[in-house]
Amino acid sequence: MIFSSTRRVFGMILGIALAAGLAAPAEAQKRQNTIRFAYDQVPENVDPFFNNVRIGVIIAHQVWDTLIYRDPRTNEYKGQLATAWRWIDDKTLELDLRRGVKFHNGVEFSADDVVYTLNFVANPANRSTTQSNVNWIDRVEKIDSHKVRIITKRPFPAAIEYLAGPIVIHPAAYYEQVGPKGMNEKPVGSGPYRVVEHQIGRSITLQRNPDYFRDGPKPQPQIERIVIRFIPDRQTQVAEMLSGGLDFVMNIAPDQAQQMRAVPTLQIVSGGTMRIVFLNFATTERSPAPQLRDLRVRRAIAHAIDRQTMARQLVGEGSQIINAICFPAQFGCDASQVPVYDYNPAKAKELLAEAGFPNGFDIDLHSYRERNQAEAMINYLRAVGIRATLRFGQYAAMREQIRSNRAGMAHQTWGSFSINDVSASTPVYYKGLDDDISRDPKVIELLERGDSVTDPQQRIAAYREAHKLIMEQVYSVPLYNLVTFYAAARDLEFAAYPDELPRFWEMRWK
Amino acid sequence: MSDIVQTGPVAVAVVPPSRFKRRALKHKGLMIGTIIFAIIVLIALLAPFISPHDPYAQDLNNRLVPPVWYERGSWLHPFGTDNLGRDYLSRTLYGAQISLLIGISVMVISGTIGTALGLAAGYFGGRIDLVVTFIITTRLALPVVLVALAVVAMVGGTLGIVIAVLGLLKWDRFAVVMRSATQQVRSLDFVEAARASGAGQLRIILKEVLPNVMPHLIVVGTVEAASAILLEAALSFLGLGVQPPLPSWGLMISEAKNFMFFSFWLIAIPGAALALLVLAINMMGDGLRDVTAPDSRS
Repeated sequence: MIFSSTRRVFGMILGIALAAGLAAPAEAQKRQNTIRFAYDQVPENVDPFFNNVRIGVIIAHQVWDTLIYRDPRTNEYKGQLATAWRWIDDKTLELDLRRGVKFHNGVEFSADDVVYTLNFVANPANRSTTQSNVNWIDRVEKIDSHKVRIITKRPFPAAIEYLAGPIVIHPAAYYEQVGPKGMNEKPVGSGPYRVVEHQIGRSITLQRNPDYFRDGPKPQPQIERIVIRFIPDRQTQVAEMLSGGLDFVMNIAPDQAQQMRAVPTLQIVSGGTMRIVFLNFATTERSPAPQLRDLRVRRAIAHAIDRQTMARQLVGEGSQIINAICFPAQFGCDASQVPVYDYNPAKAKELLAEAGFPNGFDIDLHSYRERNQAEAMINYLRAVGIRATLRFGQYAAMREQIRSNRAGMAHQTWGSFSINDVSASTPVYYKGLDDDISRDPKVIELLERGDSVTDPQQRIAAYREAHKLIMEQVYSVPLYNLVTFYAAARDLEFAAYPDELPRFWEMRWK
Repeated sequence: MSDIVQTGPVAVAVVPPSRFKRRALKHKGLMIGTIIFAIIVLIALLAPFISPHDPYAQDLNNRLVPPVWYERGSWLHPFGTDNLGRDYLSRTLYGAQISLLIGISVMVISGTIGTALGLAAGYFGGRIDLVVTFIITTRLALPVVLVALAVVAMVGGTLGIVIAVLGLLKWDRFAVVMRSATQQVRSLDFVEAARASGAGQLRIILKEVLPNVMPHLIVVGTVEAASAILLEAALSFLGLGVQPPLPSWGLMISEAKNFMFFSFWLIAIPGAALALLVLAINMMGDGLRDVTAPDSRS
């Protein structure tokens, strides 16, 4: 406690320095009505269908609109570019479209835009980045100028959720003319902000769209300009934040966020996210770590890790323990029947001895983010005799090693593209797809059923059974959800949502 | 080609032991360096006995405790704890083991390779010299850090691999210096005398040449050991060197960089330890060079 007062003194000194020299420019930003935001990843293409990074999702929802909008407070679906929708049969979704919406280039929005955009991205030949977001669409048909039908390949009850998430609508004529490459250079959407400048790889400047339609679920934006800069190093972002060069950053390390609370010109807001963390095991015959094929070893690992303490001490306020590989608020994420493994190192040692490893064994732990959490797990494993070596690298490299059976144990995280349906999480890792390293036929069958039956009760039942089986077999150790810490100029008013999507259109100055 | 690796005139006169001792004791830099180095070696050897805690034991409920000179610090953790609640003093003490192990092992491996090549090239000359010079220039064309990064990224970083990679890469200076030193020694009278008395090549190299180029070997060895320690720290800092949870100083600095704005001691402590060790070794190297140089140079 005495220390925290030293810290406060330090914070005050820093604050006085800032107030004296640097608060003035921050005030100027308020007067100019501009938010300067920095992010560490660069989207390979701003066209939302051709990147799979978070900043791409953030830009997508400022510049474009989706057909349906999910209210992040109530999880209720509202009409955005569509005003009403209905299932004609279990593979046909009919949507009425909004009238009087204009794209940033002045062209009126109509059924042709939906038909062209969706047919274009659903065609595998056009190589949209995340195929699972669009490959359920068979074709889209125009009924009249403001009515379309989407025909799915199989019954796909989660369609609404995808239409409210990653699937935005482009202006047909412009998109046909310039394609994804031109869309990256000069993006045109219908959203609350339009892109006025894109310096590829450096910055994107957004300007308020004065003609944004009024009766939609997104309110009229108040902030005039958003300047997004790509700053790869988080420490540099923090330094800029401290010196008043930025007004808004996200994904601050929890410890740093705690310490930044002492700076008087800033506010720190945290929010639990949909991103779940888990330890995944390769248990097939080709597993590079054959020890993991023994259920007792997997149970031992589950008992060795103190998830509760990790969530509280390393992730921070807002982090919840999860017991199944899905985010609890997702439809179908039912962990009510899964076995839960408590933190019990003695039991872990016992199980290891039973499995024939009284002296433990050596193993690699693959990881790509939250390195401190991976290290904490390594130390927990070490305490029960398992000597794990950290293999830390880029996500693409780790994914490659997992898919080619060269990673036995992986520290995974998954954000489900903010899709609030379990079909976007559990099946990615257990339905026999590329990232499935346990490949249990029973689990695959159950998930297949959950993804394709239309009756919600039957879906829940299938997923519940799958989660139970996954945890009985301990194909993974579910840990917790991550928390995002935002730092912002003190007088900016904003809210943090679990989908990690800052909504600039509803921000304002206090 | 061979001009590239000619390093100018190399002194070969060897200082007699009695004068060496007298000079060494009078050389302040050498003495200070040796004392600091000896202390660090002692710490490394005694780490298991003098460390207050297990350097691997984490306690997530006691994270980021500041060192004892802060108000919230306590003697329980004199240097505080790191972001996983591990005792920082213990990790710093154990870190000395890793740095020294790497410095000395790399020096021995690269020293052996470089000395063998340099002696052979310098003593035999001719074709052998051409071949060795070619190997040296080839090696000099490879940037050490880049190659080390690539290899470690491909094979994975363990302590053994880092030592092997650095050992196999850092022999160039040994080879260059040994070659030119040997060239000068081989034509001296006592080598001719040994040859005349019918000694074999190997015996001449080991008994006549090697002892007379030894001072250079020692000086190069200290420089290389220090540079290996720094390289390991750099690799570990980039996440491609020694892997967690080993308490390497470079790794500790790397892990601390997220805390540098508010908990700077996490970087300052291993940073200071690293700087002290490298400084001590360099002071020893400089001192040895001065002490073993012929009278006219000191």
